[in-house]
Amino acid sequence: MDNIKNPLKVALHGMDARSGKMMAMYLQGPCKGMAIVVAAANADVDIFDADSISGRQLLNACHAKDMHRPIIAMSLNQLDYAQVIAIKKPVKTDDMLAALATAKTMLGAAGGTPDKLNQNHRVDQKVAKDEAISPAASRPEASKPITDAAEEKPVLKRYVLDRGELKKTSKHKAAMQLSETGFGAFIGIVPGLDVNDPKQFKQAHYDPKEYFQGYIDSAFVTCHSLAQESQLNTGWMPLIIFPKSHEVWLDADDNQLRSFSGLVINPALGKKISVTPISRDLARQEKALEKYQSMDAFLWKIACWASKGRYPVNIDISQPVYLKHWPNFTRLLVTPHALRISALLVQGPRTLPSIAESLNIKPQYVFVFISAAYSLGLAGQAKRESDILSKPPEVKPSKKHGILGRILNKLIGKKAS
Amino acid sequence: MSQYKIIFTGPVGAGKTTAINSISDTPPIKTDAAASDMTKTRKNSTTVALDYGVMNLPGGEKLHLYGTPGQERFDFMWDILVNGGIGLILLLDNTRSDPFVDMKFFLETFDKFIKETAVAIGVTQMDLSDKPTIDDYHVQLRSYNLQFPIFAVDAREKADVSLLVQSLLYSLDPELEG
Repeated sequence: MDNIKNPLKVALHGMDARSGKMMAMYLQGPCKGMAIVVAAANADVDIFDADSISGRQLLNACHAKDMHRPIIAMSLNQLDYAQVIAIKKPVKTDDMLAALATAKTMLGAAGGTPDKLNQNHRVDQKVAKDEAISPAASRPEASKPITDAAEEKPVLKRYVLDRGELKKTSKHKAAMQLSETGFGAFIGIVPGLDVNDPKQFKQAHYDPKEYFQGYIDSAFVTCHSLAQESQLNTGWMPLIIFPKSHEVWLDADDNQLRSFSGLVINPALGKKISVTPISRDLARQEKALEKYQSMDAFLWKIACWASKGRYPVNIDISQPVYLKHWPNFTRLLVTPHALRISALLVQGPRTLPSIAESLNIKPQYVFVFISAAYSLGLAGQAKRESDILSKPPEVKPSKKHGILGRILNKLIGKKAS
Repeated sequence: MSQYKIIFTGPVGAGKTTAINSISDTPPIKTDAAASDMTKTRKNSTTVALDYGVMNLPGGEKLHLYGTPGQERFDFMWDILVNGGIGLILLLDNTRSDPFVDMKFFLETFDKFIKETAVAIGVTQMDLSDKPTIDDYHVQLRSYNLQFPIFAVDAREKADVSLLVQSLLYSLDPELEG
């Protein structure tokens, strides 16, 4: 009751009118009226949002001067100010109540009434005038900038200055999500091999080194070690590699690229394939912006086309494979069931056939996904003994299976059956 | 009729309002107002209370999409908001000075909810600031012993937001069939 009769008068700093209003409601509601928000000139206590730029500056300025009244500072981070009552965000009611109680005790120990303390108060006239949140300022019409935007420039990281960068549509475009229907036509098949037949699993592999994929992979490694723009010469279209920006540039469309990626490179031709460092000026000369692609997205799709639904030869199909983490699917070709496979594999290593069995999908979808993830170093053979010995975790269907399925169908535009 | 909800959270300017707009069937109810403080340097308006959108599902069911306010960090509001939610979409703005601090903050704040459900993380503004990379985020998550879907996201792109939500759903149940 004493709190309601004699609430602490607090001034808010480093918050805009809306945050201030929220804070005022918070003090009134969850904090049971232990404090009320007043103008800085009439306050007993100062409360700062130390995560706002202006708030931190004001806190520093206030703290550097003689403190004439208690300060409460809220922050995501650990605060290291002597005599300042720190509250870690998210602000919990108990913490705020404890902080207000401490402030009240400090005021009592100072032996001054709020009025007397206010006479001595020199937080900052500018704070009181422009930046503290007063009840009046919390009205929407009174909402105004705490400081000029110019004074509040946050420390931002380096941005892309070249607007042309934003026009690299291939690099930034959203992923293409393949359905089962379009898979065969898009990915291709290997004549005479049924990759979905368990009896033919042992033959359903391919060696990335024999395809364009292997040469690209090797060229990427070379370029990264040289840290210089280079050109991969294949006798087909030259591929320009930009290791620093992690991009490639190729003057070919996906149909052409798919055809080339699916071909086994003749060893005689392979010997002629080379990587040549080129000057930055030459590399950047008059390049169509829409033909830039990210290295990862490029290698991923090349691997899909080389795989044609097979798995990499270095993977032992009878041993579990791991997935390091979820691929960045919004910037990659999303093969059928790729998200489901990822969700399953991040739970623990499994063999490729067991993935297909658990998800009740054709093995080719698992094989092609593993080929692509393997090309980026995201998937590999589980080598740790514990991975091999321990049984993969059992898949537990969610209790909300039905509704989750309906949401999913809505997202992928599938009509309810 | 059953009601379900997904929560979109993240710091100011991360694209929560836009992301909801991208997949909502109806124009979302926005409670944005002109920004007047630190948020002004990041965007022209900011969410005062909540953003709300809806996806109409077959059979008359609805999936409600709620965006948390970006500024106010008072746990009592968020507790109410997540109550009964299916899962969390966390959007992070890669142009902020330290997106890892943001990520840690939101993961800790929603820790209980995430443990009960799942989270998918979208990183926005990567065309403006390409560091940290998505791999860097995974490394950071691994240091917390966590593994969640993290995608580069353009909140304006329905396909991006859709994939992010799909990853959330599959994280909840990999056996889901579309």
